[in-house]
Amino acid sequence: MVVAASREAKAIGLDLGKPWFELRPHAQRLGVAAVSSNYELYGDMSRRVMEVLERFTHELDVYSIDEAFLTVDRRAATDAAAMTRLGREIKNTLRRLLGVPVCVWIAPNRTLAKLANRTAKKLPVFDGVCVWTATRPEWRQQLMEALPVSEVWGIASRLERRLLGYGVRSIWDLATAEPVQVRKWFNVVVMRTALELRGVAAIGPEEDRTGRKDQLIVSRSFSEKVTTRAGIRQALSVYAQRAASRLVRHGQVAKTLTTFAGTSHWTEQMHHPSATVRLPFPTADPVELTRAAHLLLPQIEEGIRYARAGIMLTDLMQAGAQLPLEPFRHRHEDAGISTLIDSVQKMAGRESLALGYAGLRPGPSWQMKRELLTPRATTHWSELTTVKA
Amino acid sequence: MLALHPQPISPEVVAVLLAAPTAVACGFPSPAQDYYDGPIDLTSMLVEDQAATFIVRAAGHSMTGAGISDGDELLVDRSKRPRHGDIIVAIIDGELTVKRLALTADGVVLRSENSEHPDIVVAELSDLQVWGVATYCLHHLR
Repeated sequence: MVVAASREAKAIGLDLGKPWFELRPHAQRLGVAAVSSNYELYGDMSRRVMEVLERFTHELDVYSIDEAFLTVDRRAATDAAAMTRLGREIKNTLRRLLGVPVCVWIAPNRTLAKLANRTAKKLPVFDGVCVWTATRPEWRQQLMEALPVSEVWGIASRLERRLLGYGVRSIWDLATAEPVQVRKWFNVVVMRTALELRGVAAIGPEEDRTGRKDQLIVSRSFSEKVTTRAGIRQALSVYAQRAASRLVRHGQVAKTLTTFAGTSHWTEQMHHPSATVRLPFPTADPVELTRAAHLLLPQIEEGIRYARAGIMLTDLMQAGAQLPLEPFRHRHEDAGISTLIDSVQKMAGRESLALGYAGLRPGPSWQMKRELLTPRATTHWSELTTVKA
Repeated sequence: MLALHPQPISPEVVAVLLAAPTAVACGFPSPAQDYYDGPIDLTSMLVEDQAATFIVRAAGHSMTGAGISDGDELLVDRSKRPRHGDIIVAIIDGELTVKRLALTADGVVLRSENSEHPDIVVAELSDLQVWGVATYCLHHLR
């Protein structure tokens, strides 16, 4: 299935959600091939992108595998020309260092940044960099009048129907509605969203407004720098358990976990270790996730001042979709195998032995998936990219 | 006489030399203890920009003269600006290719370091797609 489409892909008619069996007969003519998701590579490239982004800000909030918010100094933010230069520099740097194309949206708050993202993305005139306050007010009004209120981040379709009842149809309607009235109709969150559309920063960074279903991140900057492996271990354990409970709440399991820590970019001793783990089986088990998260610990150096840590779960799927694996798992768990594996890994390295090899019988579908897997070129020594010499 | 018949270093001696001098037998503290910062970390020594550095593996014999053999690993730093004489990884006909960059009067030449392999002449500098600059070669000695 087409799970993501670049501009080039869309141009040849590869629409999101189109199943492979429909495309297959035309594959050769279109010059396309099917590959499995390579989450190890995505996770590692995402980590690299975030590490480069950290060079541009004092406060980076990794929002998902492919989105992050950077806080810009308030005084600098009023200089629209400087902001445009900053956006271009971020975009060009990521292109040059990592070959990753990104779009940069700079706005007074996250609601407007997301709005700019959704709209300006389709307008080639911006060329991937949009500074909200540098656009003409008339253009902004036209845009907000033309877009339905459901295009606003955090306004669900359920809410849209109720808003329509009050005559709020476009984004502009919500932005110009009387805030106190909006709070009476709905709640304080919708009121704050309305305020943000006017350019006020009203919603804190910690509030989850998305409900993205394909990935999950638990990451925080520490209030005080953590300098010990034990401290990082504790933070990762907490995050893993938090992630597990979020998965359970959504009825999901994860197949890939990325665990990372980082110093501030503004310290002398920079260190950004990370590890991406393909979990032995799709799981939401806090014990499994915690153990996987701890695979970062050998890379943690005592004495370095870590400013943040986190875990990211990708390759999410509905729980129960791979039921046949469960019996294997429980039998091994009951026999104390997981403890044994843990100690073997401690002695011989984490790739020496894993539950997946003990429990997974390569069925035909599993083999096919391996076949389509592209090299995990940045995380696996045996799968490095080759260059012609 | 001692100099003529040097004692081979026994494994125990090596172990002592490599281990952190934490245990001190007598009352006098080891003067080296305060200076021990942990073992050498190859990544931090060899990689300047960790986000922008990639490891790739050479396949082929065109660069043996530069010390790059078939199967050697290369550290490629994409943050470096390519200069004349650098070993670079370029994209040639859609393929990642390692060559030595030469900026000559006649234009850009991607030189092979093996007489059996031809150089590649790039008509315009703008046609050259440099993927990254190779900074180290991990040459396998056995």
